[in-house]
Amino acid sequence: MSSSAVIEVKDVGMTYKTRDGRSHTALEGCNFDVAPGEFVSVVGQSGSGKSTLLRIISGLINNTSGEVLLKGKNVAHSLRELAMVFQAPVLLPWRNNLDNVLLPMEFRKAVTPQVRAYAKELLEIAGLGDQATKYSYELSGGMQQRVAICRALVSRPDILLMDEPFGALDAMTRDTMNFELQRIWHETRQSVLFVTHSIPEAIWLADRVIVVGDRPGRIVADIKIDIPRLRTREHRFSEDFTAYERQIEALIGTPGAIS
Amino acid sequence: MKQPTVIEDLEVTPVAKPGSPSVAPHHKPRRLSASSILLSPAAKAVTGLALMLAIWESIVRIFDMPRYLLVGPLEAFAELAERPMFYLEHSWITIQEALAGFALGAALGIICGAILFYIPFIRHFLYPTLIAIDTIPKVALAPLFIVWFGFGFESKAFVSMAIAFFPLVINTFDGLSSVPSELRELAKINKASRFMQMTKIEFIYALPNLFTGMKISISMAVGGAVVGEFIAGSSGLGHVVLLANSQVNLASMFAAFMVLASISLLLFLFIDRLGKKLLPWRDAGK
Repeated sequence: MSSSAVIEVKDVGMTYKTRDGRSHTALEGCNFDVAPGEFVSVVGQSGSGKSTLLRIISGLINNTSGEVLLKGKNVAHSLRELAMVFQAPVLLPWRNNLDNVLLPMEFRKAVTPQVRAYAKELLEIAGLGDQATKYSYELSGGMQQRVAICRALVSRPDILLMDEPFGALDAMTRDTMNFELQRIWHETRQSVLFVTHSIPEAIWLADRVIVVGDRPGRIVADIKIDIPRLRTREHRFSEDFTAYERQIEALIGTPGAIS
Repeated sequence: MKQPTVIEDLEVTPVAKPGSPSVAPHHKPRRLSASSILLSPAAKAVTGLALMLAIWESIVRIFDMPRYLLVGPLEAFAELAERPMFYLEHSWITIQEALAGFALGAALGIICGAILFYIPFIRHFLYPTLIAIDTIPKVALAPLFIVWFGFGFESKAFVSMAIAFFPLVINTFDGLSSVPSELRELAKINKASRFMQMTKIEFIYALPNLFTGMKISISMAVGGAVVGEFIAGSSGLGHVVLLANSQVNLASMFAAFMVLASISLLLFLFIDRLGKKLLPWRDAGK
């Protein structure tokens, strides 16, 4: 498994120095990997360090211990082929949707006719084929986030990191986006690491759920989700699903949580 | 699929309640009031101006103001009509000074704002000093500029520049600071060069703020040129005001005020329109 994994997180820890000179451990001894084409959710309470973990993998911040391997190799952050979807879509308002999707490739000076065609294809997959020349302010929040997902996929990253991408959307749009994401993932077979604080969302989307515990942030469980694809609304209320939900809820320790 | 029907139900229920007969139809006619159908925003602005001038003229007439204290707008217009070339020539001089000062001040302001933003070392050392310098009334610098640059065009353009400079420093800095951190992270993850990050994201993102700064600066630049002309000058609208003052010619003074206000307004509107034209995404996007 380990040699074929896209990303291996090995004993990764993160310790900050606080202003009064004490050290604060945000993450401790995190170990897991993501296989090619696998969808892995990371779930935990806010402040548990799950976003920190994602930012370490992305190379935006440096871990203080352990290592992150890409396809078995210890490469510098700058050489990791990653993409990130943030909580806000942050599209550029002066670019149309196609040009927004192409932005990462412009940064790499790698816009070719093939890339252009792929960007259009991605918009097509995301159900935005007829929106390519529209501007972000003409789209709903959910559509904007889908453009942001296309933008992340256009560079064909080894792994797609998603940091609570649907956290800012209303509940109904969020459900729709979960269906859309599953469909996009099903067509692109992209390895995904998906951070969320919603337990049902984490379970419904993922092949595996990594549960992050609090103080210090550490991995308390790595649960394989045995629910067949493509998943439907029915799966959400199945017995298996509820059992996973209960199990994770107990691990995170959210007494009295309703949703 | 069924969700829209649910929402519809929720909206319909309160309207259908007894005691509040058909709320919705009442709203629409109120929105389309007579004034909003008949008058464009520009027409409304002109009407407001005409009203102000009418009140001013009536006050002068009703109270029979002495001509050395206040004259009405009609007399000021008559003065303008009588010597149009005189006002045109002096206006042209003031406009040139203001535009030169504005262009120089804006350019320097944008460069300074960008340097302060991109080089933290310089920011930490110089930003407090710059703000301290900004507290000096620029008008007070005019005599100094006359010592340095003489009595001609340059000293007025420099006073104008000194005034136009600061709004652009602050607004450039604020504009660059307003770039969401996610966009910088996006650039970093995609290995964008610093130059690309600036040209493809940050500079464009800051443009609406630059236009805000320029709108503030342009009318201040006109004021700066006039102050320069007050202190040293034999031409320009500032000079016209002083001349009228010495002759107790209030009609000429008010005529000069009107021309000045028109110049500032036109320059302001030009920048405003330019911003709307170049940045159609601004209002919808941010």
